[in-house]
Amino acid sequence: MARYLGAVVCFAGLAVPALGAAQAGQNATLRRAQQAYDNLEYRQVLTLARAALRERLTGAERARAYELLGFTYGAMDSILKAVDAFKQLVLIDPERQLDPNRVSPKAYSAFDVALRQVLLVRQLRVDSVSFVGGQGAVPVRFTVTQPARVVARAIGTGGTVVIDSGAWNGQVNLRWPARLAGGDPVPPGTYTLVVDARLGQNTFSASQPIRVSHGRVDTVPSVTSLPGYQFLPETEIPPQSWRPVGLAFLYTGGALVGTLGLESSSLGSGSKRELGLVGGAALVTGFVMMLRKPAPRPAAANILYNRLLRDQIARRNQDIAKENVARRQQVQVTVAPVPQVTPK
Amino acid sequence: MSRAALGALLLALALRPAAGQLVTVGPQFALADYREVASGLRYRGSGFGGSLWARRDRLSVEAAVVRLSLDPADGSAATTGFTATQVDAWVAYDVAAYASVEVGVLHRSADPEFDAQSVGAVRVGARSFYEIGPGATVVFRANYLAAPKFSGGGRAAISLDLGLGLDIRLAGRLHGTATYAFNRMNRKTNPGGTGEIDAPIQASLARVGLALGL
Repeated sequence: MARYLGAVVCFAGLAVPALGAAQAGQNATLRRAQQAYDNLEYRQVLTLARAALRERLTGAERARAYELLGFTYGAMDSILKAVDAFKQLVLIDPERQLDPNRVSPKAYSAFDVALRQVLLVRQLRVDSVSFVGGQGAVPVRFTVTQPARVVARAIGTGGTVVIDSGAWNGQVNLRWPARLAGGDPVPPGTYTLVVDARLGQNTFSASQPIRVSHGRVDTVPSVTSLPGYQFLPETEIPPQSWRPVGLAFLYTGGALVGTLGLESSSLGSGSKRELGLVGGAALVTGFVMMLRKPAPRPAAANILYNRLLRDQIARRNQDIAKENVARRQQVQVTVAPVPQVTPK
Repeated sequence: MSRAALGALLLALALRPAAGQLVTVGPQFALADYREVASGLRYRGSGFGGSLWARRDRLSVEAAVVRLSLDPADGSAATTGFTATQVDAWVAYDVAAYASVEVGVLHRSADPEFDAQSVGAVRVGARSFYEIGPGATVVFRANYLAAPKFSGGGRAAISLDLGLGLDIRLAGRLHGTATYAFNRMNRKTNPGGTGEIDAPIQASLARVGLALGL
């Protein structure tokens, strides 16, 4: 079973160079070498690829020829020679990557060893980013294949700015604040981000053009409400009750009792039509008011809550006003990588 | 301006809501019952008058004047009626949301002068008021009538006045008002120095009217 799996992986690895045959077929000798590789005629691949390398080739064709040699030596278990071929390959095309899922483990490990034997700065990437000057940074990342002294610089309109330096190996992540030595944002323009690596006499440089532009910082609009908080009605309608007619009855009853109590016995019982008229009107009014929708009354808790909310909004707007004053003096820095043509 | 136009203008003003209304003024129709000395001397009648009410913060002022034509009631020993003019005035100060203390005056004069007692007194008392609904307020008052003076002389150590009132906002600035007042004065006289005799006075008065908010 293991042998079967190995055969499948090996076949998959051999298929990869075949896929690139059409691209690499400019040079006739190189095309024949590719055909020989597709037919598993490894000795003929070696002869033809070496012959092609003696001819006039483009960079991409030369890289393809070394790649074919690397795969072929890998297939023939000549690992050291495969490593040498791959070293030549990555020196021509440092960004060359192999897919570990599609090449044979032997070829991939030889490629990996070759990478670690050559000083390279690979996969230099700058992410597009926009930030307020002084409050953000540009993410920069790259890979150094050997432990080396590395200096990253930005060279352009505003002069040369050293981003960072150090003794690094492997994946390196930097954050460039895009500021000059004085603290001001770098002037707008096109810059080239250069990463120099030095190990003894060996040096390697990778670069990535970037464009820096300036813009105005957006001001923050003032708020009229706070998220999650809403003004509450400052009046509330109390539930209907018998209170109006009860009070009218109480007041009228008080007047009636008072009148009866104060009436002089010597003067006889007085006329009640006056009290009947006014008291009746009060009772009818009370009854009508009992049936009517009660008048809204101030809701003290809601009024207090709304006052606190208004205070909070006013305070927030004061903060926003201060922030906007500061923002009007700031600059929005936008950094974007400029696409560059990579050798095929 | 024609009367019709003036009437329409006044009606439009009356129906327009007033903001922060502090003064009302308007006419009133009154019904009255008046008794004096003994149960046989009683009068009933009606009349017209007016009222004014004003408020500023906790202080309020109220005044009413009414002119009544009082005629002997059925079974009364009186033979002729008389005309009475009554003036009431109060100044009140709110001591709570539903209560105020008040002072004022009461003055009632009779014409012809000696057909009934004319009286003047100082009022001291309190009143309670409560809004029983939107724009509807009921009032109950109790006043002590201090130092009453009578045209026929005498004194009244115990004199009280009770009142019931109702104010309803009918539309906009237009209010409907109804007030009831009952007063009893335990008047005692000493005619000819022969000793004090009771000559009580008792009156009830109902006023119904309209008032315009200003």
